[in-house]
Amino acid sequence: MSEALQISNLHKRFGGLIAVRDVSFSLAPGEVVGLLGPNGSGKTTVMNMISGALPCDGGTIRLGQTDITKMKPHRVAKQGVARTFQLVRPLPTLTVGENVLLSLAFGHRRHWGREARELVEEKLAFVGLAGRGDEQVSNLTYIDQKRMEMARALASEPELLLLDEWLAGLNPSELKIGIDLVQHLQGQGMTVLLVEHIMEAVRALCSRCIVMSAGEVIAEGPSAEVLAQPAVIKAYLGDDHA
Amino acid sequence: MLEHVVNGLVLGGTYALVAMGLTIQYGIARIMNLSFGDTIIAACFGTYVLFSTLQINPILALAVVVPLGYAASLLIYRVIMKPLVDRAPSDGALEVDSILVTFGLLFAIQGVLLIFFGGGYTSYSFLNTPVNVLGTAVAGNRLLALGLSLVIAAVLVLVLYRSRWGMMLRAVALAPQSAPLFGIDTDRAARTAFAIGGALAATGGVVVSMFQTFTATGGVVFTMKALIVVILGGKGSVPGAIVAGLLLGLVETFVAAYVDPGLTLAAVYTVFLVLLLVRPNGLFGKA
Amino acid sequence: MTMKPSIAFPVAAAVLAVLAAAPLFIPDYWTGVLLGMTGYVTLATAWALFSGPTRYVSLATVAFFGVGAYVVAVLNEALPYPLVLLSAAGIGMILALAVGLSTLRLAGVYFVIFTFGLAELVRQTVSWWEVNITYTMGRYVFLPFEGRHIYWQLLALAAVTLLISWAIGRSRLGLALKAIGDDEVVAAHAGIDVTRVKLLLFVISATLITLVGAIQAPRWTYIEPSIVFNPTVSFMTLIMALLGGPMRLWGPALGAIPLFLLFEWLSVSFPDHFSIILGLLFILIVFVMPQGVLAKIDDIRKGGRA
Repeated sequence: MSEALQISNLHKRFGGLIAVRDVSFSLAPGEVVGLLGPNGSGKTTVMNMISGALPCDGGTIRLGQTDITKMKPHRVAKQGVARTFQLVRPLPTLTVGENVLLSLAFGHRRHWGREARELVEEKLAFVGLAGRGDEQVSNLTYIDQKRMEMARALASEPELLLLDEWLAGLNPSELKIGIDLVQHLQGQGMTVLLVEHIMEAVRALCSRCIVMSAGEVIAEGPSAEVLAQPAVIKAYLGDDHA
Repeated sequence: MLEHVVNGLVLGGTYALVAMGLTIQYGIARIMNLSFGDTIIAACFGTYVLFSTLQINPILALAVVVPLGYAASLLIYRVIMKPLVDRAPSDGALEVDSILVTFGLLFAIQGVLLIFFGGGYTSYSFLNTPVNVLGTAVAGNRLLALGLSLVIAAVLVLVLYRSRWGMMLRAVALAPQSAPLFGIDTDRAARTAFAIGGALAATGGVVVSMFQTFTATGGVVFTMKALIVVILGGKGSVPGAIVAGLLLGLVETFVAAYVDPGLTLAAVYTVFLVLLLVRPNGLFGKA
Repeated sequence: MTMKPSIAFPVAAAVLAVLAAAPLFIPDYWTGVLLGMTGYVTLATAWALFSGPTRYVSLATVAFFGVGAYVVAVLNEALPYPLVLLSAAGIGMILALAVGLSTLRLAGVYFVIFTFGLAELVRQTVSWWEVNITYTMGRYVFLPFEGRHIYWQLLALAAVTLLISWAIGRSRLGLALKAIGDDEVVAAHAGIDVTRVKLLLFVISATLITLVGAIQAPRWTYIEPSIVFNPTVSFMTLIMALLGGPMRLWGPALGAIPLFLLFEWLSVSFPDHFSIILGLLFILIVFVMPQGVLAKIDDIRKGGRA
């Protein structure tokens, strides 16, 4: 059975610092997996290498049958990888709808014209922004910007969705909405890799977790088990708590 | 051969000097100043006027022209740049705004120079006696120019890397957002940096005028070369600017001597492109 | 500005017809003014095609303009006129490809710096070539064109340029350009080949600018590098586009018309102070309206309604 994403022996150096060392893991189709670890452990670097933003110094990344290791971001996107950003990055001169239209027009499946406008409306409705396509991005609240960014990512109809702390910065009620949305995606069979610090969200969403520390994978397995491992607690909280 | 090396070093020394000025303006004040070369040319003409009408020797002229360059740049920063800095939502926006505004300034300065001096080539003869250096004759004014460039560059490096005040400027260059947290007045640092840059341009102008002809419309080429030196050396790197400046001076002199003087700018551009392809962050830049 | 195409096209066609007929009814002097104005409308619109949405400020307009004029000066007696124009466009395109390929992969500021010196580089290289290889300095253009013939050609080019700008604005490409101007990283992750889009637009824009130079060449009769590579052309194009607003279809054109008339008047009334006035005016424009006049009017309108 083919994996949706297969990462083998990934390496990344920044000058003398080894940011990612020999990282391997895989995601089965339809799986929602959490990538955890303290700040600076290399999670976002891994995300950036998958999406093509950073070149790898070693190892391979396969999306289904395709080797995407050396691809530039736009080609990775066309292969079916969509992502959100740690800090929301809306495009201010475009309307909300145009932001979403962008990945419809250039992403994994290419749509344009009336069909694309209908799809934009559909994606906006899915994230809870129905009928707001003509608004300026600057009028959106923080959660709505996050919603829009999700709609933009989903609009390319990706095979793999990378969520980089997509739930960070939300208040408790917004967090519930956010978790619901990802669960919805899960129900539709989307494969998701999410970097997340909010344990509540990880427990609710991820069947499986991968924990990184200092550039290496230190634990992997079902969420409940992994989060209880002493090595994981130590990596997060320091020696005293182990 | 040796003659060309010496001439190349002289030219390169002045490039390094003015490029330091530009790199300080860009690195600390975050202003990409396209009218930089016209400041140099203005200083050339200033020295020329002092020398030909009042018989003031160019070395003494430094004492007049350089403070003028400082004061004029300070004024320009206060009146034109500061409002742009205040309104810019991001570094990128300030970069575009400063490029546009200094492009306008370039034409204004050039226009003033054209009115007073016309469009022709100007030069004056100062210390034009050959001096024997290792068996080749080199014009005295060129040696003096090299000496001045080296001394001023050395003083600047000392100030930037050894004094408290230099440390403050470098802190603003490296971390403009967090510098205020340490009690550094970034506005004052930017203002001072821009003015120092102007003073260095003026110094460069005085030095260049001693051994080269100049025209009112020649500023663009100076700006271009200074920019190239800054990029080659690595944005904001003073040692980089010195090495890249000397390199550029040598390349130019050798191309002029052995290929054709008409192709020096083409050679400079070629060096620029090749180095950009090989080292996009400059010789001394960090990835 | 947001007329329906069903109304806008007939209106535009009617305006075009009136403009085309104008030289038959007005004195030659005014045909000359219209000619110059149409030239700058085209230059500013073509410039904004690339530099507007991407915010990669190109300072090299006159490099391409001059190349166009010079190609005509060199080839006008050797080839039939349509082929001369085609050669000019081709050479401008190749130059733009070379410049774009070497700088557009890098940060925007490298592009600006490179274009800043490009006109001077091309001018010096052409001069060197003429002096050392062909032993000619200055060339004559002998083409049987009067002012109105040149004007009609420019008018056609202006219409084509506006049409291209309109079509791009409605296409995927236009959306991609705006996204690149906002955030290149997001654009790339949405699947846009950022470098290719920038290169494509830069080449289209530069080719149109080259053609303006080529068509205008017969106006001079005598051409030498210092005439056709006059940096004021880059500068005026930039001011016009900025004043009108480089992000809108009609912005650059609407900026070009009043400024061209103003510059005509200034260059006649204050020939010595022209450059200073130009510089100061430009600083003022950047200060008062960074997004252009149209955006300013929009702001005022919105402010009035809110």
